[in-house]
Amino acid sequence: MIPLEYFLAFAAVLFVIGAYGVLTKPNTLIVLMCTELMLNAANINFVAFSAFSGDAIGQVMVVMTISVAAAEVAVGIAILLNAYKVRKSTNTDDLVSMRW
Amino acid sequence: MGFVDLAWLVPLIPCLCFVIVGLFGTKMGEKTAYGGLLVVFGTAISFLIALLVSYDYFTACYPAAVESHILWFTIGGYEINIGYYIDSLSCLMMLFASFISTLIFVYSLGYMHDQEMRKRRYFAEVALFLTGMLGLAVSSSLLELFIFWEVMGLCSYLLIGFWSFRHPEGDDKADNAASAAKKAFLVTRLGDVCLMGGLFILFLAMGSLDYTVVFNADNLAAAWAADSGKLLLAALLIFGGVIGKSAQFPLLDWLPDAMAGPTTVSALIHAATMVKAGVYLVARCFPLFCMDKDIMLFVAIIGGATAFFTATMAMNNMNIKKVLAYSTLSQLGYMFLSLGAGGYLVALGMETGEEHLMVIGALGYTAGCLHMANHAFFKALLFLCSGSVIHSTGTEDMRLMGGLKEKMPKTAMTMLIGTLSIAGFPFFAGFFSKDLVLDVVFETFEESGSISWVFILLWILGIVTAFMTAFYMFRLWFMTFMGEYKGGAHGHCHGESPNCMTMPLMVLSIFAFAFGFTLTFGWDGVFTIGLVDGAWLVGGGEAESGLHWIVELFTNWKTYVTIVLVLLAIYLAHCMYVKGTMNPGKFNKDGKSALYTTISNRWYFPELYNQLSWKLGYGVAKGVDFFDKQVIDGTVNGLSSSVVGGGDLMSKAQDGHVQSYAIIVVGGIVALFVAAALLFAQFGGL
Repeated sequence: MIPLEYFLAFAAVLFVIGAYGVLTKPNTLIVLMCTELMLNAANINFVAFSAFSGDAIGQVMVVMTISVAAAEVAVGIAILLNAYKVRKSTNTDDLVSMRW
Repeated sequence: MGFVDLAWLVPLIPCLCFVIVGLFGTKMGEKTAYGGLLVVFGTAISFLIALLVSYDYFTACYPAAVESHILWFTIGGYEINIGYYIDSLSCLMMLFASFISTLIFVYSLGYMHDQEMRKRRYFAEVALFLTGMLGLAVSSSLLELFIFWEVMGLCSYLLIGFWSFRHPEGDDKADNAASAAKKAFLVTRLGDVCLMGGLFILFLAMGSLDYTVVFNADNLAAAWAADSGKLLLAALLIFGGVIGKSAQFPLLDWLPDAMAGPTTVSALIHAATMVKAGVYLVARCFPLFCMDKDIMLFVAIIGGATAFFTATMAMNNMNIKKVLAYSTLSQLGYMFLSLGAGGYLVALGMETGEEHLMVIGALGYTAGCLHMANHAFFKALLFLCSGSVIHSTGTEDMRLMGGLKEKMPKTAMTMLIGTLSIAGFPFFAGFFSKDLVLDVVFETFEESGSISWVFILLWILGIVTAFMTAFYMFRLWFMTFMGEYKGGAHGHCHGESPNCMTMPLMVLSIFAFAFGFTLTFGWDGVFTIGLVDGAWLVGGGEAESGLHWIVELFTNWKTYVTIVLVLLAIYLAHCMYVKGTMNPGKFNKDGKSALYTTISNRWYFPELYNQLSWKLGYGVAKGVDFFDKQVIDGTVNGLSSSVVGGGDLMSKAQDGHVQSYAIIVVGGIVALFVAAALLFAQFGGL
């Protein structure tokens, strides 16, 4: 059996890659994809802990997270489309009107 | 319950008139003179009630004072009362104030007839003015008096400035009226602050401001024994208020300027209200002032000096109203001289226990009151006559008048009566009171011992003033009514004024002639003050019966001195201004002599005021302004601008980049974890 630490290390790597993408990528679509990475990093943790402790509640949580993430992506992409319609750009550096 | 309990109605009725006319005057229309008729009617009712109250008081209660009050409010352990206080002095005040005001208001109907809508403002304000005076007369405590005192101050400001916009003679005059009103307000304010301070100190010393407490001889003696300095200071400060209100030296300059108001207002201020309030206050506070004879000496000196100096100012003035204004100041000076000299003897009598000194001193009180009442009648008459002349000729400059006797016979004759009265021509009202005043001053000189040189000086000033009064008043009358007809501002005058203006003149002239004879009907018994069984009592003295005073006056060499001086002055004025046998220009180098210019410039009093207010007042104001703008405003503004600036600076952090916010969030979480990890490592567990 693969030890728990491997799962956790993998999830951490995945999470950091996602966070790095969120913080640095200029393209908003990629930022959205990176948030999915971060979510799934959390999901791996859930599943890993669930399998190791023998408690199904973690897996229930994952199903829930996936469904919420689907909704979130739908809303996010809709906003992005509208932003594109208005600004003709999905670059994060162009979407800066909410400031002082 | 008799009529005397209706005393509170006396000031209330003019007050109601003020409210009604003030609010609904414009709706009343031209037929009722925009509320003017209501005010005349209300004032007449008020006079009738005053008459009933006085009648009831003199038949039922005299000489004990009638006092009634209700609790107004309580501060700490002190109860502040409000009520009325009727004795012969307050009866006198409310009678002549309401009576003369009624006549003046009737006259105003004619005088102001072309003012249309502005009549509403005029009549509402004069009604409130009268409320102030009548309220002051019936007040039962000094605090209540002070309130009405201030009401009058406000109304005088409003009325003097009545023509401060849309003056019939143009904008210059309007500015003049506005600045005169401001001056009157500010100068009297100085006095009012003194009065308020005096009342505070008196309250501190006596624990109450009710007449019944404050003017109780035992209370006064106890307070004097406890702390004489406080009472002394209170009396001086109260007299300071009087100086402001009655325009005595050195706060005298506002009254001549106050001539910028309508002539009827001048008549009201000079005869029935306002300046008489100061005399009333001294008469009312007589027991307090008598606690120290030096206060009374001060009162007498201020009175004598004012009487003399203002009489000189009237000598060469060409403005008919200003001459009358100076004569008012001068006559008020006589009243204070009389009260002060008499009071000095009373105080001396109390100090040494000599009864006869107090009896002589009380005569000063009598003479002061008589002169106050006489003056009210003849000065109202003179002002209304001058108003009639101004109304007809359209100018106030006497050089443009002349020869009006044929054109305005009624005005000329009534004004002659007023002039004779104020000049002190034998058997006219002014003669009795003025000679009585001078008599009292002379007697004070004889009785006052080491300080007597002051009183002989004041007496000499007094008779010189009598001479000057006769001269300038006849100068005024001759220049206006005799000589060559010049026809006023437009080359022709409108002739005699309408009946509603001449009728009050005739009524007043009867009083101006005959009121002095009240002296032979027991005036000296009713208006006297003395310690009866150790308590101060106004009135209740023994009147000298019948012709006593006439005999007394005419067997006295001093009376003949003044009569001769008065006749001489009239003759001099006649030579100068009617016959022309003497050229007035010869005495003053055609208006270029130093004395002439000094007097024309009012002894440089306005100059002194200006210098003082510019150098001192303006300097202090600038300093205060600097402190206010730089220090106080600086602190407040600095605080607010630092907050605003800080906010501006911080808002730069909000650059709108979602990713930079996210970095902060992530960085924060990392920092939190690092800190938690360090703590964990440091303390080994949570």
